[in-house]
Amino acid sequence: MGEAPNTERDAQNADARQRWRLALPAVTIIMVFSILPLIVVVLYSVLTPGDYGNVRWVFSTEGWFSVLFERDIFDDTLSLSDAHLTILARSVGLSLLTTALTLIFGVPTAWFIATRPPAARAFWLFLVTIPFWTNLLVRTIAVQEMIRSEGVFNRLFLWLGLIDQPIQMMFTNFAVLLGMAYVFLPLMVLPVFAAVEKFDFRLAEAGYDLYASRLFCLRKVILPLVRPGIIAGSILVFVPSLGAYVTPRIMGGGKSMMLGNLIEMQFGQGRNWPLGAALSITLTLLVLIALIYYTRLTSGRQGRSHG
Amino acid sequence: MLDIRDLTKQFGKGDSAVTALHQVSLSIAEGEFFTLLGPSGCGKTTLLRLIAGFEPPSGGALVLDGKDIALMPPNQRPVNTVFQSYALFPHMTVAQNVGFALEAQGRPKAEVARVVEKMLALVQMTHLRDRKSAALSGGQQQRVALARALAPQPRILLLDEPLSALDMKLRKEMQVELKRLQQETGLTFIFVTHDQEEALTMSDRIAVMNGGRLQQIASPRELYDLPENRFVASFIGESNFLMAQKLAGMIEIEGSKTALPSGFAAAYDGPVIVMIRPEHVVLGQGPSDAIRLTAQVERLVYFGTDTHIHMRLRDGTPLVARVQNALRGGAIAKVGDSVPVAFPQDALRLLPDTEA
Repeated sequence: MGEAPNTERDAQNADARQRWRLALPAVTIIMVFSILPLIVVVLYSVLTPGDYGNVRWVFSTEGWFSVLFERDIFDDTLSLSDAHLTILARSVGLSLLTTALTLIFGVPTAWFIATRPPAARAFWLFLVTIPFWTNLLVRTIAVQEMIRSEGVFNRLFLWLGLIDQPIQMMFTNFAVLLGMAYVFLPLMVLPVFAAVEKFDFRLAEAGYDLYASRLFCLRKVILPLVRPGIIAGSILVFVPSLGAYVTPRIMGGGKSMMLGNLIEMQFGQGRNWPLGAALSITLTLLVLIALIYYTRLTSGRQGRSHG
Repeated sequence: MLDIRDLTKQFGKGDSAVTALHQVSLSIAEGEFFTLLGPSGCGKTTLLRLIAGFEPPSGGALVLDGKDIALMPPNQRPVNTVFQSYALFPHMTVAQNVGFALEAQGRPKAEVARVVEKMLALVQMTHLRDRKSAALSGGQQQRVALARALAPQPRILLLDEPLSALDMKLRKEMQVELKRLQQETGLTFIFVTHDQEEALTMSDRIAVMNGGRLQQIASPRELYDLPENRFVASFIGESNFLMAQKLAGMIEIEGSKTALPSGFAAAYDGPVIVMIRPEHVVLGQGPSDAIRLTAQVERLVYFGTDTHIHMRLRDGTPLVARVQNALRGGAIAKVGDSVPVAFPQDALRLLPDTEA
């Protein structure tokens, strides 16, 4: 009789061990490829920069300090780092604008596709996904080709006589915005499409029957119900925009840098790895804040609407 | 009140065009419970959608209170719909659903609240006013859909097979409920259904449709007693169809004759179709003016209140008689028996021999 609990406990232990063994590959992958690099980044952010890149193993908060402040070379006075703040603000601002722009173009596109007959839908979706198979660099340079001084638009406008000399569009915030909006547009279209496709159009019909104007129907019936898709699309666009590197590099050059480029600089010619690491963590935190905000937005409304 | 004149609807263009409605004309009176009845694909739902304004007609007029509304958008027509799927807004509460139309019209908040309360009381849903509509049972959703469509006080309420999603018991309850609501509000109802029993029990008048055409418009009783054609006769209730000869004011079936029932003028002599309801077929001699034949019993089906006797006439025509079961009666007939059957003269209906 005294044996029974023991065998049960043994069985439980064996079961737990078995579970650990099964989880081990996944846990290893997460540790090695996700947690460990993050620890390295956090560690490097509190060390002293080496003379030729890399770090010296001396504790220092200088990296974190430089994220927002700069020390005058001559009199050692402290001031807010204008350059860093500008880039930070530009990153957040351009990412928000990119999200807005992809919303403006992506939602009607998704709506259009979702309201086609099923056979045609596959075709339109195929068109939207083509950019995914194309190299990011190639896509970005294609946009550049459109707006550079001797590019398609400037030549067309010159030929039409709308302008006397080419408009400088490259290496401006506009160029970065345009490039990012183009590159990230499919990430908005797809989730919104999925939401609109699920939308029961009889509800719009019911609203229309009940004296609602088209706008009232859109605001009160359609938008609340496709909202989860719009929020998902916004996350998918905003998060990679914030950390974008290739597009700002090509479209913005040195003039219109974003956070990703600033970080790259610290690891390259800046030779300030701790600052680069600190900036990286700052970026991660910004993304985290955005995600928490978005999750609140969805779970709050959705939970109630399906209650 | 509502005049429908030569209303036609075509879907598609050119060779692939399908005509869903063929020049339908009918008038609906104020306060009437009017039913569009027919099998699926007969055009009844298309007609309803045209009245609601979801589809523009291809031709004809739709005159409401003296004004042609055929091309008016649905949000301007004083007509509301109870949808087959209910189409309640899943992200809104019961009260928000009911108040939707009034808010869309921009009525003041106090008025919206007052009307919503009144409507919720009318359909007995006040206790669930703050429940999300997705969390309601089918019958409750039905009530909310009704209240939502009634709230803006439309001139006509359109109901698109609103009971088809409910189970039998609930459907019977809602039939009574709907009729009560219609009488209480005095509103004109246009009700679409494929269920003939539903149509017969609730309607003031019924329009039977088939293949996009009107077959007959009549009161339930008239429709059952005096169907104008074979389609109406077979769609409403059960019927026996018999081949007969018409000759000099008499009709003859398998050699047995009787005088032409009154009301069926002799236009021409020759073959006609005669219809008789199973409950009017008499087993035995019947009255003196009856047509008397012999039939062979093939099958007996017991229904509780009555028994259906499936028989065959000498020429092979199937015949069903419905005989009420007596409290202590023995067997009415046995399978294989040859029995005398009689068709009383006043139970016979002559139908035009146009549709097979």
